[in-house]
Amino acid sequence: MNLNLLLQLAVSGFLLGGVYSLIALGLSLIFGVMRVINFAHGEMMVWGMYVAYTFLLWTGVDPFFSFLVSAFVLFILGYFLQRTIVNRILDFPEAMQVLPLVGMAMVFENSARIIWGPDYISPQSRFALSSLSIGNLIIDTPRFLAFALAIIITFAVLLFLKKTDMGKSIRAAADNRLGAFLVGTNVNQVYAICFGIGTACVGTAGGLLVPIMPLSPHIGAPFTLISFIIVILGGMGSLTGAMVGGFVIGVAESIGPELITNIFHGIGLDLDFPQTMKQVVSFFILIVIMILRPQGLLGGKKG
Amino acid sequence: MKKMNRRTFLKYSAAVGTTTAISGFPTFLRAQPPEIKIASLQPVTGVISDIGISMRRGNQMAVDDINARGGIKSKGGAKLKLLLGDTEAKEEVARNEAERVINEGAVCLVGPFLSGNAMTIATLCEQRGVPFLMDVAAADNITRKGFKYTFRVFPTTSKFADSMLFYMTQIMKEHNVSKIRGVVTNTGDLFGRVQGATFIKTLKEKKFPIEVIGHIEYPLGIQDLSAEVSKIKALNPDVLFPVARPGDAKLMIRELYKQRVKLQAIISPGSPGWYEPEFIRDMRALSDYVMDNLPWVNPLGKMYKEVNAAFSKKYPGKYLDTNSGYAYLGVLVVADALERAKSTKADDIVEALKKTYFKQDLMVGLAVNFDARGDNVNADTALVQIIGQSLKVVLPSKAAEAKYVYPMPKQLWERGI
Repeated sequence: MNLNLLLQLAVSGFLLGGVYSLIALGLSLIFGVMRVINFAHGEMMVWGMYVAYTFLLWTGVDPFFSFLVSAFVLFILGYFLQRTIVNRILDFPEAMQVLPLVGMAMVFENSARIIWGPDYISPQSRFALSSLSIGNLIIDTPRFLAFALAIIITFAVLLFLKKTDMGKSIRAAADNRLGAFLVGTNVNQVYAICFGIGTACVGTAGGLLVPIMPLSPHIGAPFTLISFIIVILGGMGSLTGAMVGGFVIGVAESIGPELITNIFHGIGLDLDFPQTMKQVVSFFILIVIMILRPQGLLGGKKG
Repeated sequence: MKKMNRRTFLKYSAAVGTTTAISGFPTFLRAQPPEIKIASLQPVTGVISDIGISMRRGNQMAVDDINARGGIKSKGGAKLKLLLGDTEAKEEVARNEAERVINEGAVCLVGPFLSGNAMTIATLCEQRGVPFLMDVAAADNITRKGFKYTFRVFPTTSKFADSMLFYMTQIMKEHNVSKIRGVVTNTGDLFGRVQGATFIKTLKEKKFPIEVIGHIEYPLGIQDLSAEVSKIKALNPDVLFPVARPGDAKLMIRELYKQRVKLQAIISPGSPGWYEPEFIRDMRALSDYVMDNLPWVNPLGKMYKEVNAAFSKKYPGKYLDTNSGYAYLGVLVVADALERAKSTKADDIVEALKKTYFKQDLMVGLAVNFDARGDNVNADTALVQIIGQSLKVVLPSKAAEAKYVYPMPKQLWERGI
């Protein structure tokens, strides 16, 4: 077994897991408060990427700074999406809530295609190609920066929810919508801001991913799926759960195939676990967790 | 609002009737050649929309050019009308879209990029008895099912592998390389799999001195190749043979750079990703010395020069490449068959297609000529290389625009970026 390779895979998976956490955080926040699943989440992330890219083109500011612009634009987008569409469907049966948001996903994807074109774009940016080496281990600088910033932002959001008045209102509205309404909270406003924060998180993650991944309008859907897995894994609505889930999935997808291939070889099977099936690893973990702990790793009793 | 009574109703119907009589009716009487509908099915949305859109543009431009030259003359100058279909890169959608355009009256289908999509369309066309011309879809097995209505202008994966070995023989001989240890990577869709597997199989069958020490497959549309490249690095090959697509090609180059993977060369056995203008634009010096075994445009051809000039003018920043070029050629071949068939009946078109001998200097290779399976026997590939951030045909020597560079004089991270 090549330990060095496994360690390398674990490190890059862990770093990407940080960004996954931030993406899933947005989804979890929205679900936890409004009980709506944002099926346009991945597509909104792609918009975050394109905003950062456009800003880079116009001003030359590196995506590691301009992610703030992505966050801002996506906040506004999320705010108005909540006000115009999501707010109307809050009391609908779940199956009916899905459709408008899946529809929005298509609108986001194809409008990106019209605005920015279908081609893959890998913009030149300052850190895109740098890496650090520690012994045999290579640490990708943009991935490390994205990881660090994602963690900082995740903590900032958690702190915001715990300490500020708006954060408290959001939590109150999440606990009991009617109760919050009765004590004078402007629930609609709070919901819209909360949705905006959720989409701002994913916009930020998008900005941070620009130096790491080529942009194309269609790349959002797998991210919706992966953040969905992470959120269920960590516990629906639990924000720390989303963080932990992000790391678990990041590492599992990265080392899973190689580790399983090694196990196959170890027990004398001449079989390779194909890299193509790495999502099988995350789904397998998801199923195991669902059987052993249906409420998710850090989910409350209510599930 | 005023309720409609009998009088107003009569007034309106009279007005509508008069309008129809004035404007609509006489067009029936005028002897105008009927339109001939053909369809372009391409993945213009979904995971491979960049190439899908480029191919639709190729199809459409060919139709426009034919119409500008007077349409199908044997049918009294009938104009071609291109029905557009979007396969979304999904097999089931490809089938539905094919069904739709056939119901709308398409007499011949052209398309699609993606072998998996092509397979479902070919099956449907066989059932419905509609001629189908594949412009870009390489997987061998599509034409090995004994389909009667399916033809292909593009080379097959076996053809790709044979030419690749031919070019590799020359490179290895000229540089006194007796053995190469290589890693093959490919995407996990039908084309990627068949292309990767056929290359490896041909190497083994011919006992060619390229030893495949690793074969890595990853899904189409992947967004992170760090794990795959770590594996390549651990295997430590001399040459990387990647079958890719535009997104993962860029990811691959950047990861190889960041992880400092030492290679003598990167030579694709034939795949997109390495020749699009965006690859060179975004990768700059990192794109240099990448080679690709491709059904490329014929840089010396008169037709190529004309079409490419028009294409680049219409779509700034783009040039005619494998996909848009074959998309254009595919429509020309259909128009040629319609011209000779003098009919829009399926069987007549198929008969005409079988007898095709279409001279062209748009793409490398000779005149389009189909064998019993429906494959273009004269489709061929060239080895292209990016030298000084510009794409050059390097092999075969008689068509070469520049001498190939092997091995890479500088590793990716030594290029001052």
